[in-house]
Amino acid sequence: MIEVNQVSKRFGNIAAVRNVTFSVSSGEVYGLLGENGAGKTTTMRMMATILQPTEGDIRIGGFSVRTQPVEVRRRIGILFGGDVGLYNRLTARENIAYFGRLYGLTGARLDQRIDQLSRMLHMEAFIDRRVGGFSRGMKQKVAIARTLVHDPDVILLDEPTTGLDVTAANMFRRMVAMLREEGKTILFSSHNMGEIEKLCSRIAIIHKGSLRYAGTVAALRERCGMNDLDDIFMAMVEEGGR
Amino acid sequence: MDRQVVWTIFGKEMLDLLRDRKTLIGTFLIPLVVIPFVFFLLSMSYSNVEKEARAYVPIAVTGTSKLVDHLRSQPGVRILSPDRPAEALQAGELRAIVTIPDHFDQALRSGGSARLHVAYDNTNQKSVYAKSVIDSAVQQYSSDIVSMRLRQAGLSAEAIKPIETTYENAASDERQTGGMLAGIIPLMVVLSLASGGVAAATDLVAGEKERGTLESLLTTPIAANQILTAKLLAVMVMSCISATASLLSLSFVFRLGPLKVDGTVLSFGFLSPASLAVLAATIVLLAALFAGLELTLSTVAKSFKEGQTYMTGVVILAMIPSYMLMPIHPVDIPALYYVLPVFNGVALCKEAFYGAVDPLHTLVGLGTSLLYVSVVIAATARLFRREGAVVRW
Repeated sequence: MIEVNQVSKRFGNIAAVRNVTFSVSSGEVYGLLGENGAGKTTTMRMMATILQPTEGDIRIGGFSVRTQPVEVRRRIGILFGGDVGLYNRLTARENIAYFGRLYGLTGARLDQRIDQLSRMLHMEAFIDRRVGGFSRGMKQKVAIARTLVHDPDVILLDEPTTGLDVTAANMFRRMVAMLREEGKTILFSSHNMGEIEKLCSRIAIIHKGSLRYAGTVAALRERCGMNDLDDIFMAMVEEGGR
Repeated sequence: MDRQVVWTIFGKEMLDLLRDRKTLIGTFLIPLVVIPFVFFLLSMSYSNVEKEARAYVPIAVTGTSKLVDHLRSQPGVRILSPDRPAEALQAGELRAIVTIPDHFDQALRSGGSARLHVAYDNTNQKSVYAKSVIDSAVQQYSSDIVSMRLRQAGLSAEAIKPIETTYENAASDERQTGGMLAGIIPLMVVLSLASGGVAAATDLVAGEKERGTLESLLTTPIAANQILTAKLLAVMVMSCISATASLLSLSFVFRLGPLKVDGTVLSFGFLSPASLAVLAATIVLLAALFAGLELTLSTVAKSFKEGQTYMTGVVILAMIPSYMLMPIHPVDIPALYYVLPVFNGVALCKEAFYGAVDPLHTLVGLGTSLLYVSVVIAATARLFRREGAVVRW
């Protein structure tokens, strides 16, 4: 479903991503691991067609981000971590409806989808309140609903649990598990090893823009001869730093 | 281009902007409340000074002459005798000092001339008014002397004033109102157009970049040009609302009266369908030009604050032609100004308000405006499509 093929991205003289290759199968939850500044967000942005690869290509659902960006965007939903990018002066419902309309949803279909997401994410109490006064967790729920409003096949989650408290992060992980049950293809970036292990069948580790590993967690443990994922990650990062 | 998508984005932008306090203050409150209030205060202050200047005109007189009787007969004049007249004049206690030389009346009676000395303070409006009162008294006394001399010579008054001239103002009330408004209104309209869209333009690109919402918007299957078109329309609408609010508030101020020219009946009859059409087209094109420039700067800016700083340039760009053209009568506007950006809009506004719309000027002014708008919007669209301009990394 997602094919990242020898992708590089340079900003002037700085190489943010270097020759990265991995693929995500349909219905799989795939983890993208790396420190802050490793190149995870840049890779996600290239998948979302916000940035164009300097070299290589990414295909999502068979469509190229280079030549068919609109077709790619129709099939993905992306959630950025940190600043969740909501319109604070609009209500939660208005935020979700706005993005729904941009994906072509209208009328009763849009209303039903918003109600469905509102129930699923327990947003009924604040769906008609302006987002500006929301807590981080409430905002994240609205952002998730906005990401899912058009029922995308591919969901890109860029460090989605950053800044969330334990309860909100747990709720989020349950939601990812539920989406996995629905057969969605999910790429989940994080620097939290435990979180990735709980959710993902396969992972890719990026360090300083380069791919260090792509495969299953079990194979990684076997390769490194260690059990703790944090230790494995640190060993790979140190190895990459040398 | 999918128009439905453009309207969806435009509708959201308008809803978002109309809920923003900063935008509401800049677009509505300042033109509708602050401008009339400032004008009203200025006019009230001016008329109060004038009223006080007429009601009490304290002057000092040294020397004797029948001229003093003429001075006393002027409304509001009080003859005072302070110990230090020069200091009293400086302190504003006196408005003028009249020094009559010795043998003043004797010199005049004998057919000669005499020199009168009047000291006043040119920086004090009340003292300037006192000078005009003294001029009036001197004029009356001079007329008496001339009449006496003519009688003695056996001549009538017509002997020294053979031609009697009557003046009639050819300008109608509409033309006088338009002429008066052609000075101030284009200035206010152009400044409102430039400043009215600033908050919206800054918020809709630089602000959205900062909040991360533009990035989310760019992940939807919408072309960058559609997003830009909707934002351009939103900024234009805010600019036009601000300009309309300025026009309405200024009309209200002028109807209040204090700024009216004496004897002029305020009439908006100069706004013919033709001049209204020129005015509307000019306002829309200026709004598009400013919106394009403001969105370009907002796209270049890396933060909301940086965007606000850049916007000052657009307001200055609007101020220069507005102030340069403000004192120029519409019929005296140089031909070059109908070609230069913003100048052409201000010039057409002046013509429209003066009720003297020239078809050639209109064609050239609107044509060149359209050209500038196209260039600016094309440049903005090009910039907006560049990934580095709209996404922060």
